[in-house]
Amino acid sequence: MTTLSDLKISEVKLEGEHVGKWGMVIDQDICTGCQACVAACSMENNIPFVGEEDSGYGRAMHWIRIERFWEGEYPEVKMTNQQPMMCQQCGSAPCEPVCPAFATVHSQAEQLNLQVYNRCVGTRYCANNCPYQVRTFNWRDYQRPEPLPNQFNPDVTVRRRGVMEKCTFCIQRIHKAQDKAKSEGREVADGEFTTACAQACPSNAITFGRIDKEDTLVYQMMHHGQSHGKKHLEELGTLPSITYMNGGGA
Amino acid sequence: MSEQVSRRDFLKLAGLGAATTAVLTGCGPASRYVTREPYQQMPEYNSVGQSTYYATTCRECAAACGLVVRTYQGRAIKVEGNANHPLNLGKTCARGQATLHGLYNPDRVTDPIKKSRGDSAGEIVDWNAAIQAVADALKNNQPDEIAFLLGTSSDHLFDLVTDLANSTGINAPIRFGAMSMFESRATLSKAAENLFGQTGLPWFDVGNADVVFSFGANFLETWLSPLSYTRGFAQMRKATETKLRGRFVQFEARMSATGGKADEWVSLRPGTEALVALAIGRLVAEIRGGSVPRIFSSVEPADAAEQAGVKLEALEHLAEMFANSKAVAIPGGPALGQSNGLAVAEAVLALNALVNNFGKSGGVYLSALAPNQTEYNRPASSQEMQALVEKMKSGAIKVLFVHGVNPVFEIPNSLGFKDALSNVGQVISFATFPDETALEADYVLPDHHGLEGWGYQRVTTGTDLPVLSGAQPVVTPYYNTRSTADVLIAAAQLAGGSFASALPFADEVEFLEKKVSALMSESNGSFSALDSTAFMATFQQFGGWWKNVDSKVTPNAGSVLNKNVKAEVAEFAGEGEFFFVPFMSPTLGEAGANKPWLQELPDPTTTVMWTTWVEINPETAHELHLENDEVVRVISEAGEIEVPVYLYPAIRPDTIAIPFGQGHTAYGRYAENRGANPADLLGKHFNEAGDLAFAGMKVRIEKTGKTKPVSRLESRMGVYGEELGEEH
Repeated sequence: MTTLSDLKISEVKLEGEHVGKWGMVIDQDICTGCQACVAACSMENNIPFVGEEDSGYGRAMHWIRIERFWEGEYPEVKMTNQQPMMCQQCGSAPCEPVCPAFATVHSQAEQLNLQVYNRCVGTRYCANNCPYQVRTFNWRDYQRPEPLPNQFNPDVTVRRRGVMEKCTFCIQRIHKAQDKAKSEGREVADGEFTTACAQACPSNAITFGRIDKEDTLVYQMMHHGQSHGKKHLEELGTLPSITYMNGGGA
Repeated sequence: MSEQVSRRDFLKLAGLGAATTAVLTGCGPASRYVTREPYQQMPEYNSVGQSTYYATTCRECAAACGLVVRTYQGRAIKVEGNANHPLNLGKTCARGQATLHGLYNPDRVTDPIKKSRGDSAGEIVDWNAAIQAVADALKNNQPDEIAFLLGTSSDHLFDLVTDLANSTGINAPIRFGAMSMFESRATLSKAAENLFGQTGLPWFDVGNADVVFSFGANFLETWLSPLSYTRGFAQMRKATETKLRGRFVQFEARMSATGGKADEWVSLRPGTEALVALAIGRLVAEIRGGSVPRIFSSVEPADAAEQAGVKLEALEHLAEMFANSKAVAIPGGPALGQSNGLAVAEAVLALNALVNNFGKSGGVYLSALAPNQTEYNRPASSQEMQALVEKMKSGAIKVLFVHGVNPVFEIPNSLGFKDALSNVGQVISFATFPDETALEADYVLPDHHGLEGWGYQRVTTGTDLPVLSGAQPVVTPYYNTRSTADVLIAAAQLAGGSFASALPFADEVEFLEKKVSALMSESNGSFSALDSTAFMATFQQFGGWWKNVDSKVTPNAGSVLNKNVKAEVAEFAGEGEFFFVPFMSPTLGEAGANKPWLQELPDPTTTVMWTTWVEINPETAHELHLENDEVVRVISEAGEIEVPVYLYPAIRPDTIAIPFGQGHTAYGRYAENRGANPADLLGKHFNEAGDLAFAGMKVRIEKTGKTKPVSRLESRMGVYGEELGEEH
């Protein structure tokens, strides 16, 4: 039987070969769907709002969204646990090999899926190939009238139309913390910084940190208790960096 | 005005920023305290490429969460929670995050203007003339002809106006807002008073409970102190080595975002909340043995179950759950905004008496009072607001000052606020944004945005500690605005007499120093200082002062179970086949509609963005031949609005629901002419505590033949219709 490793596809990285450095654990049982993470992400990452019409066409540019599904019928209807969905920073990302411009590349340093905006030519192949549907295409130069641009985060590129965008795990915050630690001659401590979504989350449903070090909170959460949580669509061999839990392993 | 920003422009703008901010310095007394310098003379605390962080207090609602705002070369970049603040422990909600879209909103009021009513534009006056106008208004009218209508934040302005009122005899300020109306704060505190004989706002320790029963309370959305309740909810839900995962039951006719998190959602007929609570109480008492307390004895569980449209077995199972665990019951939301809202609050509070959780971990407390507070001071009930409207109507009010609230939009039409304005000689608005009330004013004297201003806000509920949350400017004022406190102080000086002696301050900051430094002598403070200047500086640096003493009050449980509660179904006003549930939009709140990123946040339950919708059960819609996006006319005895249909699978077939927050006719480009305002449908009916019976209406719907595509995040493919209830 042919296994994945026999195929020798260079883009397919197998577990063990590389371990994602940064990762997340999301507890869906305590996520209330309040949208604080969505707002925080938009403010941190200079994400444009697209307006009523374009958002109706599915062009809203949220880098993170809260999915909720229904089960059953009234009166036995149940809202399933909210599912914050963003780029899973796959270890073996389906979006990467299809980019003709090498705009979606894998970073060796952070083990993240990068999106290089000035390489992106807007083929949207990556979005088509993403099983999580978390890539958003910037369809227009969305207007942000003066003085709204005063709020822009200078650490994050302001994108123009025609490029693909997605969650970066707040890479600007990762770099800032790494630079600071380096200048102080130490390693980045667990919990020293976090992503905008995790920082805002009122119920602390999102935990961010190193998943390749055993002494971090994320690692503990991933490997604690009966259930290790689940990774979405991991049967596709994408090796996501985000672990979803329903009730903290209980 | 509007222009597109490319990356290159952005870099240019970033370079220009420093020079721009230097130009903007120097308007208003705030500049005495805050300056932003150009690159060449960067102050020592600021350096190129480095951010500066300021602690302040969020003004998007009255909860008083602590913020730390990241600024960069004089511009506010990002809002974060203040990790040391006892109320929110570093967390923020979506509205707090989007407060920067208020600060840098393209539609702010930029200058003081004198105008005719109904006009949005007017003649720009200079601040001296504006202050003279305020002074004349104070001086040339009898004190009892002058009224202040304030929002629920910020407290320092309320204290200033209260001081002014106490020594000059003008009417005491009324505080009101749509949020306080939907929260029914008066009902909650009245119920506590009736049952415990104590005043105060009940606080429910959700975090340490094992079972939470909520009767309509939307405590994970906007209710009272959403961040602290959300933190409690997460704590309750999480299993640890020492406790099991807590369970949560919600009783309501329309599944709210809070109800969506419930383990069991009980869809009862609106108006039967009191009956159901009493029935559960009786069943719990029977399970626990002994005689049934008097308060529960008048209700027959089987009868209550039938009235509520739920099965008796379901109530028995819930009673079992409640009786055998560390349980807490919370009344709130639409359950209180009904004709028998007070009875609902009392019945639900009594459930807690049954399991004896008063003053215990995981139970009911009365909230700690804030440091400079001697008794709980709640916002006005709708009936108290109505009293002001009546006075205005009769011509007894000659001058009305409005700050921090948009009554023309927020108060239901049926209360007649807008009409009453025409009998008020002079209306002076301090609005930061050109809202509907500013449109009807003679003067608009814009206050700074909350992030540009000084102040403090009392934490009224949500933490064990007494907290006074401090606000300071994080950026220099962007426009030619001026702090309302400064305007009033200056005008009082000009008016002379008792006005001048009531506010003997150079400016707002001096007033704040006096108020805040009164706390210096208190023990167990979060910090101490040797002199008032140092105390004030530390107060700003930490974003407030709190006393490290658990000051929650244990309710007096003594006679609760021997009281009487009317075991009745609520009365509903008007004709129509549907119960009507208006609810506060969890993402927009009362004043979020002008912030574009709040508009584009999907509603937590429906995922709708940018507009108003009416939620109808898919079965009902099928019978009425209604589809998604079809615009219907919703008609009540008080008015009618047109809204598109959203087939909502988690609402009773006899109930429809509409979110509050949209339907503005002014308030800037992102809010104007968008959606509809369900407050137009609300009649003038109050409950026994004086809160509006906003959920006590019956309405009917008519087709209009129009459709409006509703923008929503969720996929439309296969949603509802024939495949109702399938997972997508």
